[in-house]
Amino acid sequence: MNLIIQTLIDGIMLGGVLSLAAAGFSLIFGVMNVISLAHGAMVVIGAYLGYVSWSFLGVDPMIMIPVVMVVMFALGYGIQRTIIQWAVVRAAPVASLVVTFGLALVLRNTLDLVFSPDIRSVSPAYAFMNTGIGFITVDVVRLVGLGASLCLLVFLAVLLNRTAFGRIIRATAQQPHAAELCAINVQHVYGLTFAVGSAFAGVAGVIIGIIMPFSPHAEGHWTLNAFVVVVLGGVGSPAGALIGGLMLGLIVTFTAQFIGPGFTNAMMFLILVLMLILRPEGLLGHAFGESR
Amino acid sequence: MTLSSLQRNRHLLPVLVGVMALALFMLPPLFLSTFMVRVFLISLLSTGLAVSWNILGGFAGYWSFGHTLYVGVGAFTAGKLVPLLGPNLGGIEVLTFSIVAGGLVSGMLALVLAYPLLRLRGIYFAIAMLGVAELTGEISSSFDAIGGAMGLTLPIVVPENINPAVFYYYLFLALNAIILVIAAFIKYSRFGYGLASIREDEDSAKMLGVPTERYKIIASVISCALVGISGVLYGFYLGYFTTTSVFRVDFSLNMILHTLIGGIGTLFGPILGAWIMVFLTQFVLGKLLEIHILITGLLVIIIVLLAPSGIIGAAKAWLEKRQTAEEGISKGEESETDLYLNQV
Repeated sequence: MNLIIQTLIDGIMLGGVLSLAAAGFSLIFGVMNVISLAHGAMVVIGAYLGYVSWSFLGVDPMIMIPVVMVVMFALGYGIQRTIIQWAVVRAAPVASLVVTFGLALVLRNTLDLVFSPDIRSVSPAYAFMNTGIGFITVDVVRLVGLGASLCLLVFLAVLLNRTAFGRIIRATAQQPHAAELCAINVQHVYGLTFAVGSAFAGVAGVIIGIIMPFSPHAEGHWTLNAFVVVVLGGVGSPAGALIGGLMLGLIVTFTAQFIGPGFTNAMMFLILVLMLILRPEGLLGHAFGESR
Repeated sequence: MTLSSLQRNRHLLPVLVGVMALALFMLPPLFLSTFMVRVFLISLLSTGLAVSWNILGGFAGYWSFGHTLYVGVGAFTAGKLVPLLGPNLGGIEVLTFSIVAGGLVSGMLALVLAYPLLRLRGIYFAIAMLGVAELTGEISSSFDAIGGAMGLTLPIVVPENINPAVFYYYLFLALNAIILVIAAFIKYSRFGYGLASIREDEDSAKMLGVPTERYKIIASVISCALVGISGVLYGFYLGYFTTTSVFRVDFSLNMILHTLIGGIGTLFGPILGAWIMVFLTQFVLGKLLEIHILITGLLVIIIVLLAPSGIIGAAKAWLEKRQTAEEGISKGEESETDLYLNQV
């Protein structure tokens, strides 16, 4: 019983971070119908920004989160307005898949060159502390990570649902042409959406960097995770990302605990395929799907 | 009159080009070094995979992100069945048996998977295939009975006195020719037009009486069986393989990439794309190991941005533009590829 509860808690801890890492991907997919295969690279860049601030500047990565957000926001906007927009307008939405794949390769290799392919980790003073209630132990750093993830997801939900900016994004997602008729600069909004998605990827990267080791080659893993989370939870909404992330976290920890650590990937893909066959739009459905 | 002769030309031209190319490709092993033959061989393997992928991905518009599944299934089928054959058979018999078995098993697996998976569309189908491929790969390495973690060994089937690289070069060349002929027949048959209609607008096609379900399944089975046969040959070429050497995500991605770069949905696009990319990665970038991946990525971005419908698509558009300019006639604005790209 203790083991089950402990595994449950671990799964939720992991799930919170997975949710945050997938939220940006989900937003980009939902609004622009673009699958960003460079999303994992964005997450890893965030982790390296945290690493730089911790090991070179001596600043706690958590404090640097706003700075990372701004940097990633700018990077994301630039990438969308140049490469991806060009690919989507000139070719097809599917071409964006290939372009972002190429981008992921470029970013990964650049990180390799700058930081070397070695596995890095960020370990601030609180990285090895743990706390607990009764028989359950919780790493402080994971708890902080979960808390930060939840705060940021709520922030994203408020941004999307309660502000004028969010209304513009939702309008663009539902009817790009109608939005354009209402004097919305759709390409600009797409740029901002990609920027917000990248900013959240970057923040997720910072938190992931504290929790677990990373290297440039982790990017494929994070892209895949984001996709599984979106398929499980539903496209476009922070709530969908949260549900999907928690589910994935639980699946991974329970499989590792009760079936065997070697089977986590197999289980993840099994659930992914079953989910696609049974309910491809995810548990919560497509957030902007009603009018499509 | 002009229409029928045009149509006949459309059938004739690929055949002529194909026969000439085949004759041309018979030559390289005669004067090239073994290393070069191996590079050519990799190009042939990539070509076969890309053309097979194109049958489902290009003709029918169902992008699979996990076609490496069938490379693995083909190789593993051979790896598990050949030891059961006993030692009496000669190399060619073993190879023939493996090819038939690998093709059959891959085709049957595709048939079984078609019912649940081909109901999915677009990106969901793509990712479901990726999931199935990864899942199968994981299973093959997790269970000792399959033995993907330890690896499987295939017997040497190359006749004595023949350079193995040359032997496999001709095998892959023959397979390529067969795959290409099958693809050509599909593209210019009633079946192929049915697939094109599925790609352009599946619901309308169904409404107009195209048996979309059946067509999709057949296309998938053919495409996957051909990839499976490539997998069998690749397994024999490697001699010893593990899960990681045949269930490779980069196989899946390369099939898509090569097809896109050459021109998706065209007959010769995948071939062009595969040769260009293999040679670029093997030679030009082989000397720049540090930034190899970076340049590959940049190339991919640049090619997609500059020639979004592939090299063949770009060439076609350019030719059409020149033609209309010369004739001074305003033709219909949208070419075949444009129509396709608008739809996707």
